[in-house]
Amino acid sequence: MPATRATKELVPIGGRELTLSNRGKVLWPEDGYTKGDLVAYYRAVAPYALPHLAGRPLTLQRYPDGIDGPAFFEKNASRSLPPWIPTVTVDSEHGKRDTVRFMLCNDEATLAYVANLAAIVLHVWTSRDGSLDTPEFVFFDLDPDETCTLATLAKTALALRDLLRTVGLEALVKSSGGSGLHVVVPLETVYAYDACKAFAEIVARTLHGRLPETTSLERSPAKRRAGTVYLDYVQVGRGKTLVAPYSVRARAKAPVSMPLEWDEIEAMTRKRTKETAPEFTRYTMKNAPVRLAERGDLWGSAYWREQRLEAALAKARDVWM
Amino acid sequence: MAHAIWSGSINFGLVTIPVKLQTAVRTNDLRFNFLHKPDEGRINNVRRCSLDGEEVSYDDIVRGYEYEKGRYVILSDEDFKRVNPEATQSVDILQFVELAEIDPMFFDKPYYLEPEKRGRHAYALLREALKESGKVGIAKVVIRSREHLAALKPNGDALVLELMHFADEIVDAKSLDLPAQETPHANEMKVARMLIDTMTEAFDPAQHKDTYREEIMAMIEARAAGKETPEVETKAPKAGNVVNLMDVLQRSLEESKKRGAAPPRSADRSEARAEPEAKPKKAARRKKSAA
Repeated sequence: MPATRATKELVPIGGRELTLSNRGKVLWPEDGYTKGDLVAYYRAVAPYALPHLAGRPLTLQRYPDGIDGPAFFEKNASRSLPPWIPTVTVDSEHGKRDTVRFMLCNDEATLAYVANLAAIVLHVWTSRDGSLDTPEFVFFDLDPDETCTLATLAKTALALRDLLRTVGLEALVKSSGGSGLHVVVPLETVYAYDACKAFAEIVARTLHGRLPETTSLERSPAKRRAGTVYLDYVQVGRGKTLVAPYSVRARAKAPVSMPLEWDEIEAMTRKRTKETAPEFTRYTMKNAPVRLAERGDLWGSAYWREQRLEAALAKARDVWM
Repeated sequence: MAHAIWSGSINFGLVTIPVKLQTAVRTNDLRFNFLHKPDEGRINNVRRCSLDGEEVSYDDIVRGYEYEKGRYVILSDEDFKRVNPEATQSVDILQFVELAEIDPMFFDKPYYLEPEKRGRHAYALLREALKESGKVGIAKVVIRSREHLAALKPNGDALVLELMHFADEIVDAKSLDLPAQETPHANEMKVARMLIDTMTEAFDPAQHKDTYREEIMAMIEARAAGKETPEVETKAPKAGNVVNLMDVLQRSLEESKKRGAAPPRSADRSEARAEPEAKPKKAARRKKSAA
């Protein structure tokens, strides 16, 4: 094996000189994609990705030896973090340390810095610095069982959208980049996490009540029925995260978590695919920038309508009971 | 295939079948490290002498058997070697018995025997002969320098060597307080039998999963990802809870309104902020570091 020499280069990004190392290091052995490709991808999508990252405490999922090697989560910012990258220090939820100092990814230079750490997957809070106790959306993770078909998953997502519509709420959807879908309900940032949690649970239980055969609220995978979609509504809370829109996933072909139109989900209900994953590997690190240039950010300000819960709750008492 | 435990032979009469001993069951126990709670430092064990309080190195440790209170017989490594059965690396068959004769309580841990190339024919022959006769071989075998009693059983295409307990290792049930045999009421018996019959199905080991392990692993993975610890749901949630939840939400929304101190939204979502804006500090437990 040819010894790959450690290389370093200085690259100007956003008015800063960034040291990028080992650009040629292969992170996706099957596809041959390198760390340089990852940096290039995150720089290319920065205008679309940054609005969803800025100000949100960031957890890195790093793969120093590529997607087949060991990975680790980095919540607490490293001591070697460049001083120009802002951080926010919050009380620790799990009592290991007293506080955790999260980095904030507010600009392209930071995004390139992060990609250079082989941080393939970016996980963010649902609230931002300055209003960390009031999330910007309620998040549902639709996680299909291995034997669940694409059509069942898509129908579940549409049922969730329609259920929310009956109480006047609009939802947005994205692929997880893995095998599932993420559905969010954008909110005015005035609601405490407790309220959002209760709301998420009401929605999930109501949906499960209507689709008892194809959905599950069972948190233990071993106890879920085969062929169901797990409605994960518990990822709502302070310190809980979701995979950021446009984040790459550490899987073959380098799929990305891609915001989708509801029409695209409707098209999925007509497909007979047994597995959901191939559908969601359609948008990868290689072709996502093209889609973004054509469609723009489907979770951007043009689509992101902040909503209130009071009227929705009053309606739900009426129509969901 | 995993690394063989040893290569040796099955011996009976004048027949020798070269085989490798292979692991057949693995324990899926989770391994945890002990950590110091405040700083997550790994905990070291220190061996300390109870007489002088000094730390003791492994070189200065010997094994003692307490034959009466406070009095020990010391055995050296050489002593252990002397009594150790020779690592013969063979399965010596002593006799053949009917499988049904062996109380399953005696079975301890199975290993696979895999034939070496030149033993394949004899291996297959012994396996088929055992199947046809319905018998198993009783053998002595040495594994990791200890001698064991074992049963040699055909299992599909494999010969399985199942280690057995010696008779004196089995605790006699007579030491327990158990009800003597009695003739139960015919009706009671009928009900009990009916219950058993309705719950009778074919045994499928794959149906029974180590849910404890799966749940612990899910918890570890979730926590490593900074996510909510999955809780074990004991029963399927009912719609009835939703009404209570709506009341909870109602109260929570009213509280949000009362506080009214919700911070303003960041101006424009479509543009990344170069620096987080200064915002009125909430009562939240947070400190901001110098960027």
